[in-house]
Amino acid sequence: MSEAERVHAAQGLFAETAQGPRLLGSKCRTCSTPYFPRSESCHNPDCSQSDLEDAAFGPHGKLWSCAIQNYPPPPPVVYDEPFAPYAVGLVDMPEGLRVLGRILTDDPQAVEVGGEVELVIEPLATSGESAQQLVSWQFKPR
Amino acid sequence: MREVAVLGLGMHPWGKFPEKPLNNICRVAVEAALSDADLQWRDVQAVAAASSRFSGGKGWGLNGNDVVEDMGSTGVPVYNLSAGCAAGGNAFNIGCMLVASGCHDVVMVVGGEKMPKGFIQTSGLEDESDPEYLRQRCIGLPGPGFWALLTRRRMAEYGTTEEDLARIAVKAHEVGTHNENARFRQLFSIEDVLKSNMVSYPLRLYEICPVSDGAAAVILCSAEIARKKTTSPVTVAASAVATARFDDGIPRALACPIGSGSAHHSEAAIAVGRALETAAVGPKDIDLVELQDNTVYYELAFPEEWGLCEPGESESLMRAGETLPTGRLPINPSGGFLCFGEATTAQGLFQICEVGWQLRGAAAQRQVPNAKLGLAQSLGLGGNAAAAVLKR
Repeated sequence: MSEAERVHAAQGLFAETAQGPRLLGSKCRTCSTPYFPRSESCHNPDCSQSDLEDAAFGPHGKLWSCAIQNYPPPPPVVYDEPFAPYAVGLVDMPEGLRVLGRILTDDPQAVEVGGEVELVIEPLATSGESAQQLVSWQFKPR
Repeated sequence: MREVAVLGLGMHPWGKFPEKPLNNICRVAVEAALSDADLQWRDVQAVAAASSRFSGGKGWGLNGNDVVEDMGSTGVPVYNLSAGCAAGGNAFNIGCMLVASGCHDVVMVVGGEKMPKGFIQTSGLEDESDPEYLRQRCIGLPGPGFWALLTRRRMAEYGTTEEDLARIAVKAHEVGTHNENARFRQLFSIEDVLKSNMVSYPLRLYEICPVSDGAAAVILCSAEIARKKTTSPVTVAASAVATARFDDGIPRALACPIGSGSAHHSEAAIAVGRALETAAVGPKDIDLVELQDNTVYYELAFPEEWGLCEPGESESLMRAGETLPTGRLPINPSGGFLCFGEATTAQGLFQICEVGWQLRGAAAQRQVPNAKLGLAQSLGLGGNAAAAVLKR
């Protein structure tokens, strides 16, 4: 089988950069608040001057929490057939961002709160004959 | 501002009624509230209604207009309030202000809902500009998964066990079994709950509220009118609404700033705090609370976040039976969302009905003894929350 084409699940949210996988967001030059996805303006009510610049976040993070998606969710969620429970997490990144993401692991039960993770850009499903693979940001336990 | 009395309370039982139009469900609640208040439809001077995304309202959230047309178009002003699942609480707040300000002497607040099947899909848009769509498309994290993340964090912080979570569902049904308006009145053992399907670890099916159909209505009036009808009316000590604070550490879309303190639903804490402050009472003065338990997690987290008990104390209170109607901190004596299911925009008013009945001493086998002060709290999409303190 020829290699499937990797299609981003959404445009402009993440990228493989020369330094590795990154989330694409913004940061306020005035108050340092990070935003993901990109924001046009700073939403911090205590910030004196909204002044946003592009920012890339990653790859390091720590699981603020984690859980398991145990039932096959409705569209547009993409997963391997037959459905197998997968892990999700809420990850604190050193840039001050707390971000949701799927956890890339074969053993969702082993994922722990406080665990170190690393940002990756990988397919949400690898099964099937489709010529396209939908890829998204995910976090891989270290 | 004038004192506001809660004169009439009415409810259509919660359940699934595929054959019954929403208007009929609302009419049952409205007629019950009017009858309870000993008033006629003609006496209602204004209507504050919860706007629905799921049913009625002509697709514009004009649910109050539907009720008025059904009851008889008298020309009354109608305020349709949209605040996600906090809409009923928001409508109650506006209803209170209409009476307190002196604009109207008799105001009806109403919320009715028929829900589609399955867990709530919060937006329905299929568009990359919609964060909810992105969350499903890029991650695959429906609502219960989000509650599971909050729950798992609590387990790590406070040592909450899966059995603790199950015990809350058991307790909800122990009290809800006595409520004729509740949809799920069967009793469960801890083992039954632990055997129910895992939805999103650590949360199981019986620990998450399903969606329901239902309606509730409340008649508010001036103290002067209330005194003509009853010797000891339930009154509104405070009603407040709030939205979320920027830095509370709870991501409403894909991400948020980490924030300073412990992550919590700031909108609920702010609304409850304002309500307690306005009522000039402390959190420990509250005799009972009806809080939004979409999942058992909130019954542990909310009382601590609002100062009703100490951080980390909820599990031990619950294990000791202190959250039962006869306990030190009665929580959801109605049976809560777990026993009712969520008829989203009607929930804020079902809570007012329950607190009102409790304060009247009319809650039969689920009665909180000698209840004088009750708190109701609802939470909705968009970082909305409402809270009310009723007293007698």
